[in-house]
Amino acid sequence: MGLNRVVVTGAGAVTPYGRGVATMMDGLAAGKSCVVRMEGWENQGGLKSLVAAPAPLSGEKLIPRQKRRSMSRVSIFAVQAAEDALADAGLAAGGIPADRIGCIVGSTLGSASAISEFYETFLPTRDISMIPSMLFFKSMAHTAAMNVAQYLELKGYVMATCAACASGLQAIGTGYDLLRLGVQDALLCGGSEELHPSVTGIFDLLFATSTKYNDSPQKTPRPFDADRDGIVCGEGAGIVVLETLDHARSRGARILAEVAGYNTGGSGDHVSQSNRESVTRCMRKTMEDAGVRKGELDYVSAHATATVQGDQAEAEAICEVAGDAVPVSGLKGHMGHTLGASGAIELIATIGMMRSGTILPGLNLERVAPECAVINHVREPLSRELEVVMKNCFAFGGVDAALILKKA
Amino acid sequence: MDEKEIIRLTNSIFEESFEIEPDRLKPEARIFEDLGLDSLDIVELVVGLQKKFGVKLRDSEKLREIRTLADVYKFMLEEKVRLEKGDAPA
Repeated sequence: MGLNRVVVTGAGAVTPYGRGVATMMDGLAAGKSCVVRMEGWENQGGLKSLVAAPAPLSGEKLIPRQKRRSMSRVSIFAVQAAEDALADAGLAAGGIPADRIGCIVGSTLGSASAISEFYETFLPTRDISMIPSMLFFKSMAHTAAMNVAQYLELKGYVMATCAACASGLQAIGTGYDLLRLGVQDALLCGGSEELHPSVTGIFDLLFATSTKYNDSPQKTPRPFDADRDGIVCGEGAGIVVLETLDHARSRGARILAEVAGYNTGGSGDHVSQSNRESVTRCMRKTMEDAGVRKGELDYVSAHATATVQGDQAEAEAICEVAGDAVPVSGLKGHMGHTLGASGAIELIATIGMMRSGTILPGLNLERVAPECAVINHVREPLSRELEVVMKNCFAFGGVDAALILKKA
Repeated sequence: MDEKEIIRLTNSIFEESFEIEPDRLKPEARIFEDLGLDSLDIVELVVGLQKKFGVKLRDSEKLREIRTLADVYKFMLEEKVRLEKGDAPA
């Protein structure tokens, strides 16, 4: 039996620009930075990076209380993006056998705010009697996935891919694998993340955050730029509806793109440092899966977190695998690093570029770093028919993921 | 703390935690059927009462007998009397 072809038929996003894919695409096209100095973060002892890209939370009261009570920010973002994706696909959850549609939604660690609330309540007295009953449901690692499934009453696969910054892309890749195997007809896949000073603090401890631009937040992060100095955390959610091509055709669905290849793998080398060989292997295997050869990619949406080492390793790997001519840009200069959501949000933005025929440049790339100059950086909007594109994500723990879309 | 204050504090939990409009908070309202709470909400209610009144209630057997809002008021009133006497949990 052959494998199913898999397509994207809907997308939803909550980003630092606000709710909606169109809102994000408008913000990206306008070259608007969402990074701000975070009020009160200067009171977090030892925290050097005081900037972030928060997403506005709105409309949450439209979610009925008994559905909402188990949701923290990470889940509200996911639920809103999932609801929008389903509507965008023209696919009511009831329009498909209940056990043939599910969701895979990843995040870095569930909800940092709920985990923090738990320990702030528990530790002073070591007494659990004041812990609210819903706090565990708000904080657990698969909180976004289970809340999406509960809210939309999905009865198929419910899974959470928790691989830090690769979580969202792993969710979409895993959905692709399940659909091509034919075990589901449709899946809502993506990632979600919420900002919290403790999360920025983890990167801060490892000297991976941007710290020089606290007084000029819109100048950071600076992917591939000579003056880049690290990550700026963001938040939000991106969810796509994946369907088998047969299922999408049977209902006359509009097809946004076809998922053509995917790979994920470990570096087996180091928990935090990018490994050029590992990244290269992941991209190469993704291209093999998609049947795409060097020189055939029209665009690479880079992971490009603006760390000194990571950007260099990725640029060298892209050059080796995809060549020095393929246009490359990264979107973290606009929206910060939305961590577990970034792969999904930036893939949705890439679909937007495919549909508009315009590659958007990264923000804050004023002077390409010499060590990153081996690839073709997009410096201004570039009109281009995008037939084949690749999205990269690389995560702490040495986890790499890449995914290729083709124009449908 | 008089009965009026107990009712006010209790009602505030139903308004804040369970988003129930004040005009629905009648003493005869049944917690599950009329106000729409479920078993998870009851845990939340107990935590809310503990916080508002500064008492420990989780071990109280009488919690299981609560059916209506009036039962909650009565329970808290008895708790208050018990605490003032320095008795162990009921």
